[in-house]
Amino acid sequence: MAAILEVKGLKTQFIVRGGIVRAVDGIDFRVNKGETVGIVGESGSGKSMTALSILRLVPEPGKIVEGSITFDGRDVLAMNDDQLRKFRGNDISMIFQDPMSSLNPVLKVGYQIEEAMRAHDRFTPEEAKARVPLLLRRVRIPDPERRAKEYPHQFSGGMRQRAMIAMGLSNEPEVLIADEPTTALDVTVQAQILEQLRDLNKELGTAIVLITHNMAVVANICTWVVVMYAGRVVEQGPTEEIFRSPQHPYTWSLLRSIPRIDEKLGGKLLTIKGLPPDLTNLPPGCKFHPRCRFTVDRCFTEEPELMTVGPQHESRCWVQMDNVADRDSDIREVPVVPEAENAAV
Amino acid sequence: MQQSEVAAPSSAWVAGKGEPLVSLRDVFKRFPSGRQQVRAVDGVSLDIMQGETLGLVGESGCGKSTLGRVVTQLQPVTEGSIFFEGKDLAALHGESLRQMRRRVQMIFQDPYGSLNPRMTVGNIIGEPLRNFGLAKGRARDAQVQEVMRICGLNPNFNNRYPHEFSGGQRQRIGIARSLILRPSFIVADEPISALDVSIQAQIINLLEQLQDDFNLTYLFIAHDLSVVRHLSDRVAVMYLGIIVEVADGLELYDNPLHPYTTALLQSIPVPDPVVEKDRKPIILAGEIPSPINPPSGCRFHTRCPIAEAICSEVRPDLVDYGNGHLAACHFAGKLQGSLAAKVAEQSVAEVRQALIADEPGDNLTPVNA
Amino acid sequence: MTTITTGQNMGPPIAPPGISEATDYSIAPEQVSLWQDAWRRFRRNKLSMVGMVVFFIVLLTAFVSIFWTPYSLYAQGLGDVAAPLTLQHPFGFDASGRDVLSFIMKGAQVAVVVGVLTAVFTSVVGIAAGLAAGFFRGWVDTVISGITYIGYGIPNLLIAFLILFITNRPSIFNVIIALSVTSWMDMARLVRGQTLALREREFVEAARATGTKNLPIMIRHVLPNALGPIIVQATFLIPAAILFEAFLSFLGFGLPSPDPSWGAMVSAGLQDRFLTYHTMIIPSLALLITLMAVNFIGDGLRDALDPRLKR
Repeated sequence: MAAILEVKGLKTQFIVRGGIVRAVDGIDFRVNKGETVGIVGESGSGKSMTALSILRLVPEPGKIVEGSITFDGRDVLAMNDDQLRKFRGNDISMIFQDPMSSLNPVLKVGYQIEEAMRAHDRFTPEEAKARVPLLLRRVRIPDPERRAKEYPHQFSGGMRQRAMIAMGLSNEPEVLIADEPTTALDVTVQAQILEQLRDLNKELGTAIVLITHNMAVVANICTWVVVMYAGRVVEQGPTEEIFRSPQHPYTWSLLRSIPRIDEKLGGKLLTIKGLPPDLTNLPPGCKFHPRCRFTVDRCFTEEPELMTVGPQHESRCWVQMDNVADRDSDIREVPVVPEAENAAV
Repeated sequence: MQQSEVAAPSSAWVAGKGEPLVSLRDVFKRFPSGRQQVRAVDGVSLDIMQGETLGLVGESGCGKSTLGRVVTQLQPVTEGSIFFEGKDLAALHGESLRQMRRRVQMIFQDPYGSLNPRMTVGNIIGEPLRNFGLAKGRARDAQVQEVMRICGLNPNFNNRYPHEFSGGQRQRIGIARSLILRPSFIVADEPISALDVSIQAQIINLLEQLQDDFNLTYLFIAHDLSVVRHLSDRVAVMYLGIIVEVADGLELYDNPLHPYTTALLQSIPVPDPVVEKDRKPIILAGEIPSPINPPSGCRFHTRCPIAEAICSEVRPDLVDYGNGHLAACHFAGKLQGSLAAKVAEQSVAEVRQALIADEPGDNLTPVNA
Repeated sequence: MTTITTGQNMGPPIAPPGISEATDYSIAPEQVSLWQDAWRRFRRNKLSMVGMVVFFIVLLTAFVSIFWTPYSLYAQGLGDVAAPLTLQHPFGFDASGRDVLSFIMKGAQVAVVVGVLTAVFTSVVGIAAGLAAGFFRGWVDTVISGITYIGYGIPNLLIAFLILFITNRPSIFNVIIALSVTSWMDMARLVRGQTLALREREFVEAARATGTKNLPIMIRHVLPNALGPIIVQATFLIPAAILFEAFLSFLGFGLPSPDPSWGAMVSAGLQDRFLTYHTMIIPSLALLITLMAVNFIGDGLRDALDPRLKR
């Protein structure tokens, strides 16, 4: 499949009092046409900043200092303001976790969706107007003609997010970036939104980049997963492969530290000790080593590259997970021994 | 109101094993909202057994947090009784209510908002002792440091301020504060939902450890059913101010009787793409209605895939279906098996239909494309 | 959001024996506290720093004047009011031939005492009233808010005149009382608003849940978290009080004659306007410089402490 979006060696930094925050520190990934890619990580992993970098929306005092972003053969970092304006919305659009902050509270929802179309020249003003209720119906907002005339505060949280999706799709972009689109929503509403995103992808062929901390959401709709930690890609590959056989200790531990709805296993959850790293003062060697339970000497001094560990599967780790972690054993069992060894190192 | 009557009536509630530690009887909580009333908790009766963890789940706006605050009497009830160790907390006021706080504690959701930024961690954790004049000076410091150690905090950090700690550590501080009076009952209101994924497991394990070590009884309030499943012995599902289903944890997840519970459980994705691929969840339409004007009859009938005429007219009672499995539904247990699969299929199809309804053949395709 | 942090958080865990594997001993990223942060921002504000220096000089002058002035305030006929300014008498003489510099110094003492004491009195009363109104709400709030609403309806000057007439004996203390009675209401309103917001915060709820009584909640939990805006408001009270006192004295309702208020000096200097201007201009300048200095400090404090104005 052809890549629609390709990110290479991207570095985004914030220069602040007390040093440089390396929010994104050299990441590579690609999104193919019509694919659903999940970027997973916790707060501070750089996943949201990656999305903002792709749209060149990095807030002050942040800067993209290195790397390239290519969209459909065009260099995004070389675009001027006019090209950039056309690029955002027309080719790629983004929806955020908090739809209220991206909707203008004093303008009607329908008008805002219409505006999004008028900013580009794909549709005539008349078409734009006519499309509004259809877009709203498409995201299952009941009574779309009436709803289009309402203000954002009259919408519930889920409806606002759906209105945002409608707006994001109004210009029929190739790629939709969704930054934690369901985090603020209830599970039954999350299920609606996920089902919708999945169908939008299937029926319209829009590629979706889903940014989330929730592994289960990724498993639900993504075909490709990029796991981020400390501004880096630590593991990426096809979703089934990553979940079946995680090759980075971070992914491995994360999957075992979250309780699952479909099984009840006794005993304690596996924990990842310590805290996410301080981005102004990263540890030497592998950035995950202070929290890792499988460290070898090398981890403390040398940072591994992304290495191929399976078909299309890359991981940034010195350790062969198959050798150290018995994946067939009860995954909830806390490996007491490695923990103790780590503490002693 | 009857005061020191031992909690007992309506044996249907005594579902779990052992003695109930806390018993709610017909608890109502209404807030004024302009001229109208928000019916946040609308008639809840519930027993929490000695030593168990009762998970209370529901979506935002269902009243679960309000119920937690009513149980701890941070907010007074509008009507009803809360029996705890033989006393009706709802009838206590002033000093007698304050004394009761030694036995009932709370862990809050927001690890940032629930700690006073102008107090040292030692003073925050030690304040409960100070409030009851239980220990002074060195003795208090020693107790504070002991409880910090128990909760996995470095005892030497007692002179630091909350802003010097991370979210997970702050939540440990909040847990230490709730533990220092050695209460028997703790209400935990979404204690992990504000934390990073990699930190959540640490706090879950800590809560479990403390329960074993100090013989605690938890009311664990959460919207995350996976976490509740892991932690709870019994689970109560709340919808629009009422309890719609209560059951033993395993029973509820394997055999949900209420359609809302079924849909809620199916809504939650599993971190396993192989399972996810074939999973067809029931997608509920719309969102939770306003508690100012809740629907008539069964509160869930506006979103229920199997609702019939009776559901909008008659409010179903919470009925025991055996083994302490209670549900409030006219058609309890109906939305299972092949019907559930059919409903799920339909609901997914509806989403798709809406999406493609305007696609081919209409005049909206771009003219200049 | 990226938290901007400094310091080390990856130190090796220092675990004493007997700790479960859930122990989390890593030190969180060090962050600057609110006060440190405020001080940093305050220092960046050049005008405020100049204001600090000037106000410090005024304070020092006021303090020195308690023990020493170049000439006695009672020494009359030292020179002629129209005489040119000299090194011995840099600010010249007033109409009674007294040394103006000595009076300006003593006037600083009056200004500081009136300004600071009024600010303190006003703050104490205003904080107590505002805390009670905001915390207990209900009838307490109705009564206190009612008084402030009525108070706002009556001109400040009228209230001050009334008090000065009733006491019938102008003294520094009475002037301070007159000023405090008219200005505590702003402080009470501010503290009430802060308290209403803070009492809904989770840490106040948590304090109640652990059995904290009302008074400790107000003193330990509410007040310290409202301190920023209170300090700002109290700082702005100082120049307001100094100005009001000068105004009363200018009108002749202030301090009795031997007490050298800058306002009274301007008023007296006005009588000399056909002979010289310095007796009017010099106390006016003293007043102007002091007021500007304290206002600059207040501005700086507001930028540094009031989170609502944070960028």
